[in-house]
Amino acid sequence: MSYSNGIKPKRGVALYSYLGEFGTTMTLEDMLADMHGMGAEGLEILANSHIDNYPEPTDAWLENWFKMLEKYKIKPVEYGHWVDSRLYPGRELSTKESYDRLLKDIKLANKLGFTVMRTKLGVIDGALTPVKNWREFIEMALPDAEKYNVRLCPEIHHPTLLKSQMIDNYIDFINKTKTKYFGLTIDFGTMQTNPLPSNWMAAADSIFSPVEDLAPLLPYTYACHAKFYNMSDDFVETTTPYDKIIEVLLKNNWGGYLLSEYEGPNQDVPGYTSDQLRKHQLMMKRLLGEE
Amino acid sequence: MLEKDCIQSKDFRNVWTGGQKTGFQLSIRLTYYRGVWLSQLRPATVIVDGEKFENDQITWTIGGTVYSQEELKYYGDVHWGLLKPAVLTIKKPGGLATGLHDVEVEFAYSSSYMPPEMDELLSKLTPHKRRLVLVN
Repeated sequence: MSYSNGIKPKRGVALYSYLGEFGTTMTLEDMLADMHGMGAEGLEILANSHIDNYPEPTDAWLENWFKMLEKYKIKPVEYGHWVDSRLYPGRELSTKESYDRLLKDIKLANKLGFTVMRTKLGVIDGALTPVKNWREFIEMALPDAEKYNVRLCPEIHHPTLLKSQMIDNYIDFINKTKTKYFGLTIDFGTMQTNPLPSNWMAAADSIFSPVEDLAPLLPYTYACHAKFYNMSDDFVETTTPYDKIIEVLLKNNWGGYLLSEYEGPNQDVPGYTSDQLRKHQLMMKRLLGEE
Repeated sequence: MLEKDCIQSKDFRNVWTGGQKTGFQLSIRLTYYRGVWLSQLRPATVIVDGEKFENDQITWTIGGTVYSQEELKYYGDVHWGLLKPAVLTIKKPGGLATGLHDVEVEFAYSSSYMPPEMDELLSKLTPHKRRLVLVN
């Protein structure tokens, strides 16, 4: 399939996928080497997980970071971080405290070469409604985001729906501030259509979004978590309609990164996650018309 | 590389002060997928062969600094990373006998991105229990 102007999604990996192996059977370099073997160029790290001595990596670590990116031809895409509103027991972070912490991550993301930040906000209820003061500290940080060339993107994650008050609030904020430095990271788990593997988290009664609801959000979307739970041996993801999702991305000339994020069973079985990622990357490669 | 279990075996030993055994140590790693700020941690309980230790019987050593359990909540700027086990030092006059011990560690941490009623849920999904050999 081809939609003329040549702009189309690119492939990457979210290192979250390797959570069962990082530190015990795989190092940061092992994960980057694994990505390189899949031709997955775009990287998402989790700052609090993958940066040794976070939030102040040593000079030696930084030097090795850039060496590895070059060696494995990896492009830093998305920097996962949190504004932990319940950082201190019994109270929520003030707007100023939230801003100060956000600013530290903005600077570090920029230092490591990232241009998108998955800004995970604290939530106040079961629908994952973000903290009441999110507009205030995000707005304070927008000039910094521009200065350091990063886009702050809360993650739209199940059970949030792609058509919802939360999304409307984010888009209203973007329209009101006219900012290009705040947007969305869409997690494809929001568009699940089939049950998860039977040996994995039992599916509660859940509502998901139709793929049709994705297109209107793409102008605000700077990265996607290509969430998956189960790849078959014939390279089909069994829970989520990847063929339809990728068709929407191609039709809309969306040019960001699809970051494969494995969240299925056996994450601590050495090699299992790598195998799932390879299958997922091959599926995306085919759907994107790269072969 | 770290051992897969939260409770690591290699740092399990008695602590000697002035020629006397005053307690024991063990180290734990975070099996959560991200590191945490110390103020997100909740006090630990250690159970050895059914004997329970808690509150000021336990101190945490993280990045070379010793913290009482009570003061962890103030340290929102100190981060405990995934690759650096924390050492728990437990007061027990006379220490532990050499040989096998059934060790259990309970602790929790806060996750602000989860609904408030599920704040500590992720830290309580699996118990941390291990049979360890004490040599020294």
